[in-house]
Amino acid sequence: MTQAAFNSFLVALLLVPAVTFILRRWKKARVIPSSLLLLSLITGLFVAGISFWSGKHLAVDLSQWTPFPFALSIDRLSAFFLFLICVVAVPVTLFSSSYIERHYAGARRDWLWSLLPLFLMSMVLVVTASSAFAFLFGWELMTLFSAGLIVVDGDSQERRHNIFIYLLMMHAGAAAVVAAFLLFVPQAPALDFAQMRTSIALMPQSFRTAVFLLAFTGFGTKAGIIPLHLWLPKAHPIAPTPVSALMSAVMLKTAIYGFVRFGFDFLGPGPAWWGYLVLVAGGFSGVLGILYAIGEHDLKRLLAYSSVENIGIIYLALGTGLVFQANHAPIWATLALLAGLLHCLNHAIFKGLLFLGAGAISDSAHTLDLEELGGLLKRMRITGTAFLIACCSIAGLPLLNGFVSEWLLFRSFLAASGLTTLTGATMLPLAAGVLALVGGLAAACFAKVYGVAFLGRPRSDEAETACEVPRPMQIGMVLLAAACVVIGVAPGLVLAPLSATVQEFLPGAAMPQEAASLSAVIPWIALSVAVLVLAIASVRRIKRLTPTWACGLPALNSRMQYTATAFSKPLRQVFSRAYKPNRTVEVLPADQPYFPASISYRSVRTTSFEKSLYQPAIDAVVITAHRLRRLQTGNMQVYLLYIFAALIALLMFMRWS
Amino acid sequence: MGLFETEAAKALASSAVFLFITVLLMAAAKRISTCIMMFSAQSAVMAMQVLAIARMRHSREAYAIVALVLIVKAAAIPYALFRIVDALKAPRDVSSSTTSAQSIFIAAGLILLSFFAVKPYAGALGVDEAMLAAAVALILTGGFLMVSRKKALMQVVGLLVLDNGIFLAALTTTFGMPLVIEIGVVFDLLMGVFLMGLFAFRIRDTFEHLDVSKLRRLRG
Amino acid sequence: MTIAINVVQVLMLVLMAPLVRGVIARIKARIQNRRGASVLRPYSDLAKLFHKEDLVPPSASFVFRLAPVVMFAVTVVAAAFIPVLRSSALLGIRGDFFILVYVLALGRFFLLLGAMDGGSSFGGMGASREVLVSTLAETPLLLALMSLAMVAHTASIEKMVLWTTGQDFFELSAVHALAFAAMALVAIAETGRIPVDNPTTHLELTMIHEAMVLEYSGPSLALIEWAGAIKLTVIMALLVGLFLPWGMAATFSLPAVAIALVLWLVKLGGMALALALVESSVAKLRMYLVPDFLGVASALAILAVVFTALMR
Repeated sequence: MTQAAFNSFLVALLLVPAVTFILRRWKKARVIPSSLLLLSLITGLFVAGISFWSGKHLAVDLSQWTPFPFALSIDRLSAFFLFLICVVAVPVTLFSSSYIERHYAGARRDWLWSLLPLFLMSMVLVVTASSAFAFLFGWELMTLFSAGLIVVDGDSQERRHNIFIYLLMMHAGAAAVVAAFLLFVPQAPALDFAQMRTSIALMPQSFRTAVFLLAFTGFGTKAGIIPLHLWLPKAHPIAPTPVSALMSAVMLKTAIYGFVRFGFDFLGPGPAWWGYLVLVAGGFSGVLGILYAIGEHDLKRLLAYSSVENIGIIYLALGTGLVFQANHAPIWATLALLAGLLHCLNHAIFKGLLFLGAGAISDSAHTLDLEELGGLLKRMRITGTAFLIACCSIAGLPLLNGFVSEWLLFRSFLAASGLTTLTGATMLPLAAGVLALVGGLAAACFAKVYGVAFLGRPRSDEAETACEVPRPMQIGMVLLAAACVVIGVAPGLVLAPLSATVQEFLPGAAMPQEAASLSAVIPWIALSVAVLVLAIASVRRIKRLTPTWACGLPALNSRMQYTATAFSKPLRQVFSRAYKPNRTVEVLPADQPYFPASISYRSVRTTSFEKSLYQPAIDAVVITAHRLRRLQTGNMQVYLLYIFAALIALLMFMRWS
Repeated sequence: MGLFETEAAKALASSAVFLFITVLLMAAAKRISTCIMMFSAQSAVMAMQVLAIARMRHSREAYAIVALVLIVKAAAIPYALFRIVDALKAPRDVSSSTTSAQSIFIAAGLILLSFFAVKPYAGALGVDEAMLAAAVALILTGGFLMVSRKKALMQVVGLLVLDNGIFLAALTTTFGMPLVIEIGVVFDLLMGVFLMGLFAFRIRDTFEHLDVSKLRRLRG
Repeated sequence: MTIAINVVQVLMLVLMAPLVRGVIARIKARIQNRRGASVLRPYSDLAKLFHKEDLVPPSASFVFRLAPVVMFAVTVVAAAFIPVLRSSALLGIRGDFFILVYVLALGRFFLLLGAMDGGSSFGGMGASREVLVSTLAETPLLLALMSLAMVAHTASIEKMVLWTTGQDFFELSAVHALAFAAMALVAIAETGRIPVDNPTTHLELTMIHEAMVLEYSGPSLALIEWAGAIKLTVIMALLVGLFLPWGMAATFSLPAVAIALVLWLVKLGGMALALALVESSVAKLRMYLVPDFLGVASALAILAVVFTALMR
């Protein structure tokens, strides 16, 4: 029955665009595409849930009708990621059913409802593929459909530039992934996953290292680790809100899925330096990502950089797992992998919620600039409370899901003290210091976001007149917030099947007892905090509304509050090496500095990677291309000479080899 | 061995920890007087170490060295330095070219470096690894203090710490240098301190400050 | 019986917290050649505040009044992690130090939000400064606790305390010395004492924690003040438990518990005296020198972690 449900899920996803196209003129049928998509996603959630919790394997094989082997199969890892996709996609679809109606009309609306299911379909394809062809097919489609969805929102010059960079970097990453697959061809010519898994023993070590590095680069580009993250803050903010949510929450996780498949499932145990490489990349991404986020005041770009930070945390976990695997400690590797995979799910849930909240904010206050918002909690109760839960989760505070995965990661770092190598026993615990710093900075960043946007007084008329969003949008956000709380208070629900998942591809893995002990203590702490809060809050405290004391001035206006830029100033000052700002202050008129008519202040932060890494690389490629142009002389006899010389060279090569 | 001897052995082993702490504190210190007090503490600890060795080996020369170290290095030299600092009436901060946090990171790095450097030798010579590492760390820290601190007095303190390190290294590997050499070294140091005191006044009177980096103006 | 003692421990920490504040203030006053207020003054302050009204800005949301409640609840839960009389604690069985640190962070996060909700410049100012201090203080705190956990081969606080009780004081290695130095510096930063922050100032230039709670009054302010005192007591008790735990009752007999109580009071008093001396002899750091201060703590903590492997 589950197999039939899965098949119908796939078919339904493909049906939605067709239905949208057919019904596009009929106004009364507006609700049909979204309902169909919602139903199919709920089916998918059901299928993924059954497969993940009970371990049932499913398969779909279409190889008879396709030139290359095209097969899908769901083992527990695929089921977990399919579950992740559906858990986020269902609330996002619910949200979009109202959001898209309010903001898009006519052809653009139809395009959105057609491309959205196709985008989801491509992601499903990637995580359930069991042959390289299916995987790569889905991989490229993900990029194309998401770019298409971004184009629907408008194609000004600047947007086209950003989309171009997005497509370029995604293709570069895909090229690396294709190369990684191709290296398996000598052993597994059909490039079927099962074949690749069993034939790895025949691959020489240098090939394995090459596969690892190619997979690391290729999937790293898609996941957005530093320095390959350049496309993230360009592409995520310009997409329509539901698409941003899916891109940030779900699409990045498909890259993690690919990396886990390659690094752990296909390649098996490798040398420890693989793990250290991943660990260092994760550390840098985590710290730099959140530092860049702190300096932002455009909400979507801030959330994009925060995704970079969370991917960094996931990579820290995966790197730790690789190091443990190399040191023959499979139970600790399980602990690290549990942390990484759970953080994938957690990040998907709370980042999806944060993006939906951003969509709600832009819907009611018509701006995403933090400096123009304020006081939204009083005007948008449900959105505000859901957003509060998301901010607390992403800050890694206890009783919510973000804390669980960070705790597991901390415990795996602690377990590293049992390693025998000096590098392992010192570097991994020190990575805990990096994680602590990243967690602290994330809490600071999201305290800023919530405090400036939702609390205090409105800083603009738009924020003053904001009102609550329609019911479907609220329900979408509440569902995700509930998921945050459930996983935070009862993590055992997810940890047990996750550890069974890891056991499927990691030999010798078993459920670590730290995970069990956490599931035992968190409910107690949640209970005690909740009981205390309720007890104290129920004690009657007389309240009197009085305006805040304004030091004797007539009244406080909203401009006297701290802005987001001001809030982050001390941190930006301390970490100024990451920012390198370009500041200009202009006072007019210049000859009267003490009685100015206007003062303008401009601070432009340059992300150092564009200037110091990408620009020289691009220049080098362009210069080389210019030099190679000399080969193109335009003279036909020279071209004939090239062919003739190649022929002679081949003859000599044949003779002397 | 009696009870005192076992306690002495244990105290000897943990005194290396105390020396590491003084190294870190000296690197992080912002006032000259803190550094002088750390140096005095270091010398006192080393005198105790020599005392423990003297009890274990019943050597009368060693008792003389204990007295020498205590009187000169732990008392006389710091007292002279404090008098110089008072008389100079200059600002009492250390004038470092690195911030407190950077200095302590560098000092931590030097400690780890000394551990790595002495690992092969400690086993071969049969001595306590921590003590030998502490000796090398003192030498390196003395050098670091001389390099990074701009006040003329801090150069002297750095030199004194360096000498402490050499003394400790000799103590660990050969259980002490002959008394004659010890006396010679200690009096050399005493002379050095008094000379530096004299020169500090001359420098201050001529240039009106004690910033060593400004001596570059003497370049032709 | 164990549960009874554990509950008594929590109540001790919660109810004695204002007394600790009062003692420190009294010692500081004596050092400054004043007579100082009575050590029971904080109790009368709390009683006075609980009788007053809560003044709330009209633009504030429910977060403004929720924040003090959460902060107080969180510090009480944190007090349940610390062994005082016996090496056992109410939440000690599986509660490890990560949960303790992050539970305190939860309270601080809500206090930051409450400060921003006040809608005045001081709230935002206090929040942004506090964020600087607390972000940089997390790393040395966690690394120092990790180094202790690695040496004791356990992450639970009560088991770490138990392990330390079994050691001889002179056998405690460089790891403990370095971890203690790092944690002492972080404790000063976390509890907002001189040289990081002045808990008695209300000058705009010098406030960090006080700026965050400037808009609060009445019972909300009482909860925040009490929570701050509990946090100070909890951190001091944590230091005592991790580094000087000898004398804890091994059995449930009355003499053993009485001796443990007296010894604990003496140790806590010693810590209070040390804190008062430090506060009176050092000047408050300029705010942008606080990262330097915490950088020193981080270096000590990193060295502690590396030493666990080196001195094995």
